[in-house]
Amino acid sequence: MAFEIPKTSYTGKIKEVVLGKGDKAVTVGGESVYPFYLFEGEMPRLPKIAMEVYDSEPEEWAEAALEPFAGVTNDPVAWAKKCIDEYGAEMICLQLASTDPNSLDRGADEAAEVVKEVADAIDVPLIVWGTANHDKDIQVLTKVAEVCQGKNLILGPVEEGDHKRIGASAIGYNHTVVASTPIDINLAKQLNILLGNLGVPDKQIIMDPTVSGIGYGVEYCYSVMERMRMAALTQQDEKLQLPIICNVAKEVWKSKEVHLPDNEANMGDAKKRGILLEAMSAMTLLLAGGDIIVMRHPEAIKLVKEMLADLTA
Amino acid sequence: MILIGENINVISNTIGPAMKERNAEPIQKMAKAAAAAGVDYLDMNIGPARRAGDELMEWMVKTVQEVVDLPLSLDTTNVAAIEAGLKVHKGKALINSISLARMDEELPLVTQYDADFIGLLWGREGMPRDEDERGMICAELMMTANTLGIPNEKMWFDPIITPASNVDTNQVKPCLEFMSTLQDIAPGAKSAVGLSNVSNGTPNNLRPYLNRTYLMMLMKYNLHSAIVDAFDAELIAIARGQRAERVAMIHRIMDGEEPDIASLDPEEAKYAKTVNVLTGKSLYSHSWLEL
Repeated sequence: MAFEIPKTSYTGKIKEVVLGKGDKAVTVGGESVYPFYLFEGEMPRLPKIAMEVYDSEPEEWAEAALEPFAGVTNDPVAWAKKCIDEYGAEMICLQLASTDPNSLDRGADEAAEVVKEVADAIDVPLIVWGTANHDKDIQVLTKVAEVCQGKNLILGPVEEGDHKRIGASAIGYNHTVVASTPIDINLAKQLNILLGNLGVPDKQIIMDPTVSGIGYGVEYCYSVMERMRMAALTQQDEKLQLPIICNVAKEVWKSKEVHLPDNEANMGDAKKRGILLEAMSAMTLLLAGGDIIVMRHPEAIKLVKEMLADLTA
Repeated sequence: MILIGENINVISNTIGPAMKERNAEPIQKMAKAAAAAGVDYLDMNIGPARRAGDELMEWMVKTVQEVVDLPLSLDTTNVAAIEAGLKVHKGKALINSISLARMDEELPLVTQYDADFIGLLWGREGMPRDEDERGMICAELMMTANTLGIPNEKMWFDPIITPASNVDTNQVKPCLEFMSTLQDIAPGAKSAVGLSNVSNGTPNNLRPYLNRTYLMMLMKYNLHSAIVDAFDAELIAIARGQRAERVAMIHRIMDGEEPDIASLDPEEAKYAKTVNVLTGKSLYSHSWLEL
């Protein structure tokens, strides 16, 4: 008798979510198998990479991370255009670092104006990421939702503490929300239920499980994401059948290892080290089920895209 | 089933300060109310009580047994406090609990004071991971106790219930598996569970559904005793055999029946959904009853 390879029996499918609008709109989700289990079923599209842009001049960045963006780091519009035109970004993630109350504490109106300028200047989907300070994110993201009405932005992070206000804005002005929970599958499910109760349709929700990079607990993130996919795909858990976004670049590039100079602690070339840490962290999260990975360094992105092409060849 | 009221507990906002101030009134009031609610034992949870725990336990036992005629479960990790309580206890006390870590000091108390004890299946490396580790710990506790002349009938093994709200620590399946093999491992031994642990972390108004459902599930394996909220009258009715139909429904679901939840009476549906959460068939969230 011939050997038969055991097969997982799938009963669910990740919902498809359309981000942005027009010709450059991007669809994520749609998979009905574990990540890259192409021998067991359909993964109708590759995961997407969003490139990071900051709304204020970066502070304390490693040289390797600044280099590709020389000349544009004080101009979010130019930065975003460079990512698209020069590095082929299919999506932009605008990090509203300037709104952090512990930093520049820029006001909602001013921040929303910058978001609108970027949104008007680009045609790929725009993810707008606040600072996870509930009071401030409510002010900023509801204002952003209003001034960018109709652009189908992706607004996050939306947490249990601010989901009502930001969720309501997203419904009113037709944007997608990033449902963000602290690496806990039960809380992730609960927040999706709460957003559903509020009236946010599933096609306007993506999930952020909260991730870290290699060396900082990525294994735990992997387990939680893996468990989410098991529930979604094999246990018909409809509340978890949503695409996953991983905002990992800033986690990698703030680590101690990335900032050590060349050859310190036998860690070799600093630039290569940062790029590899980012690429490997991103790849780990892709294998765990990430549908969108927020990344920074163009060379790390190139490596990941090559690996994706190899995996799906 | 033997019910042990959990309500006299150092973490309570009224009982905790009363213990500290040796103020008998709130404690005696709680003891009388719990006894009136129909439990068989009262748990005296004085916490770790590292300093003067012996004086506190002695005072607690006297204070409570002055107003109620129930045996007590002496609940602390302080061995001296357990012994002080046993010295003044009227009737047969229950030591809560003895585990591998301190069994050499504590097991002699069982014979010396003719007490029963809860054998907590906590391993030397912490929480047991599955039913097999529970079985091994149980066997070791039993054999050590047997060599001291303690018969299995005095042992109430606690497989350790963990919160359902955290998928990482959900231990329902191994607990039930262990319960189903207890009589093979330790013939004649009894069982005990800290039932309310299953609903730790769950919103207060929903906790009874988890507690009651899990109790009904454990009844399938002839649970001997449970430490419970004395004031959940519905839970007590279940334990006293007054909800036989509901219990039978729960057991049918455990045996693989898949009820059409939409066609159930709304209250029955809540219990059916809770079984599915506890068995891991559906993933817990605080809104599990609404889905």
